[in-house]
Amino acid sequence: MSNHSPLGSVGATQTAIGEELADVTKKHKRTAALRQWWNDRSRLQQWLMLLVVVALAYLLPVINPPLITTEPANDFAISCFNMALYALVALGLNVVVGQAGLLDLGYIGFFAVGAYVAALWTSSDSTFVHIPYLATLPLAMIVTVVFGIALGLPTLRLRGDYLAIVTLGFGEIIRLLATIIPGLKGNTGFQNLGRPPGTNADGEALFTASNGLPWYWLVVTIIIIVAVLLGNLERSRVGRAWIAIREDEDAAEIMGVPTFNFKLAAFGTGAAIGGLAGALMGGQVGFVNNQKFDVPTSILFLAAVVLGGRGNKVGVILGGAIVAYIPLRFTELAAYKYLIFGIVLVLLMIFRPQGLFPAKAHLLTYGSRIRRWVKKEQAPAQPEGGPPPGSAPPAPGGSTAQSTRRARKET
Amino acid sequence: MSMLEVNNLEVRYGRIRAIEKLDLTVERGEIVTLIGANGAGKTTTMRAIAGLLAASRGSIRFEDRDITKLKAYKRVPLGISLVPEGRGIFGSMTVMENLDMGTYSRSGKKADSELDRVFELFPRLAERRTQAGGTMSGGEQQMLAIARALMARPDMLLLDEPSMGLAPQFIRQIFRIIKEINAQGTTVLLVEQNANQALAIANHALVLESGRITKTGTGRELLADPSIKEAYLGVA
Repeated sequence: MSNHSPLGSVGATQTAIGEELADVTKKHKRTAALRQWWNDRSRLQQWLMLLVVVALAYLLPVINPPLITTEPANDFAISCFNMALYALVALGLNVVVGQAGLLDLGYIGFFAVGAYVAALWTSSDSTFVHIPYLATLPLAMIVTVVFGIALGLPTLRLRGDYLAIVTLGFGEIIRLLATIIPGLKGNTGFQNLGRPPGTNADGEALFTASNGLPWYWLVVTIIIIVAVLLGNLERSRVGRAWIAIREDEDAAEIMGVPTFNFKLAAFGTGAAIGGLAGALMGGQVGFVNNQKFDVPTSILFLAAVVLGGRGNKVGVILGGAIVAYIPLRFTELAAYKYLIFGIVLVLLMIFRPQGLFPAKAHLLTYGSRIRRWVKKEQAPAQPEGGPPPGSAPPAPGGSTAQSTRRARKET
Repeated sequence: MSMLEVNNLEVRYGRIRAIEKLDLTVERGEIVTLIGANGAGKTTTMRAIAGLLAASRGSIRFEDRDITKLKAYKRVPLGISLVPEGRGIFGSMTVMENLDMGTYSRSGKKADSELDRVFELFPRLAERRTQAGGTMSGGEQQMLAIARALMARPDMLLLDEPSMGLAPQFIRQIFRIIKEINAQGTTVLLVEQNANQALAIANHALVLESGRITKTGTGRELLADPSIKEAYLGVA
């Protein structure tokens, strides 16, 4: 092919530069050793291992491992619930920050809206029509999507820092509204929120404020469902559009991506998950007032995403769990949690800016077309006389043959 | 009917007028070049034609259709593709994924023939199809940007300073490829500071100064024009 290339001669001189660049990318490769190992497993092995991990996640509060446990200071099952809740929040915020690259500092606002939806429609203190608690979960998502779009429509034309400032303001506005509007009861708040139905053998309610176990299982189940749905979304045209917007918004637009609509979609999706998490929090605690929705908590949510690794679902789930776990486990440090997370984030930005569990360096997971292309181009490329096999600098994902194998496996 | 007709175009950044009273026509099959100094409004013109900037006055017609108010993403399926200044590569995506993004506006349709075409034009990209776009050299990124725009199968390719920041031998190759793309039937509107080579391949050329067109002619005419020589070609 390179014979009748107008760029043939230039190509050769560029090889040296290319090799230099490949060395740089190798650094990222080292961290991806685990992923390489994972990709080398068969499909069945991967599923079995995932099954074990999920089973362990469900059993975590039952096993209550020594050293890891947060007892005696905090009930471990409730701690696990809180970790799962933060994981769910991080998963939702990751759509906005990690996928679409929109910096949202007021995510707590959606969380608050969700919690207040659950309170208004189930609390004994509310004069609203009462509905079953589980019905408030989808309702909370719908209401927060409305809030998300209401916030996004005028503000998503802004970029970068401007958007961050506006969202920061949004988070505060929601908290202040909860204080000012008499119907939202400010500091007094709402008590006796509804909870999911069900009783154990003794006829006692399954879901109570003091028993974290069923709540934890509920949230873990929701996380799995949400993660699977988001995974499908990421591999679709929507996910590709989000990544393109994150990388270069103008370039995405001139590829034919309606960037504004997709940013709004990311905002709405994130908002819905935030609202869902808020409603779950309200249900478990059984009490909602205006004290829990401050800006530092919003920053903590963002810290969970950054810590876990923007754009990586598994990473941000772990990031959320870690951010919730540290102050619960080390209660003597809880008062210093912002100091600690601040220092950790600074160190992280210096040594590992992509987060503890970075998103894949390159995707190759989406698009059967790309897999077909890679395969198709692979076949005739080998026997051709062009460049000898060794001369081409290695691609960052290892040899091209490896990449093809991986791509094929992901079908 | 001309393929692209820009009439009395004005674009503002707030209160500052970047271009005004700009008239421009491009006929099907041509290479038209817009040359000018820094800040003359070349990139503004291109971004306005692509739809990334709104016109505050005037009109843009493409294939006899008024696209002045049309959003940028809706202009792509009509056949307008921009290769932006600074290339706009999706850094974390591979070459393949970048090319695939190029077909975004033609969802579902097969793009294998386009892929074959761009790999023939840029064999370098075929070699590097699994490399992340952000790790490539400037010249390779420029090739990728042009290739990605071609994946949309545009009728008109807008090239905004494709030679910027490239080594001289690379610049010559890029210009050769632009001619090749044009010969294959794509109309080209080219913005360049590198006036010499841009004029050499252009059917028509326009000189932009402080937001206004000050001279038009064939590429050859402008190459020979003494005032152009002095101002843009570095010949005293």
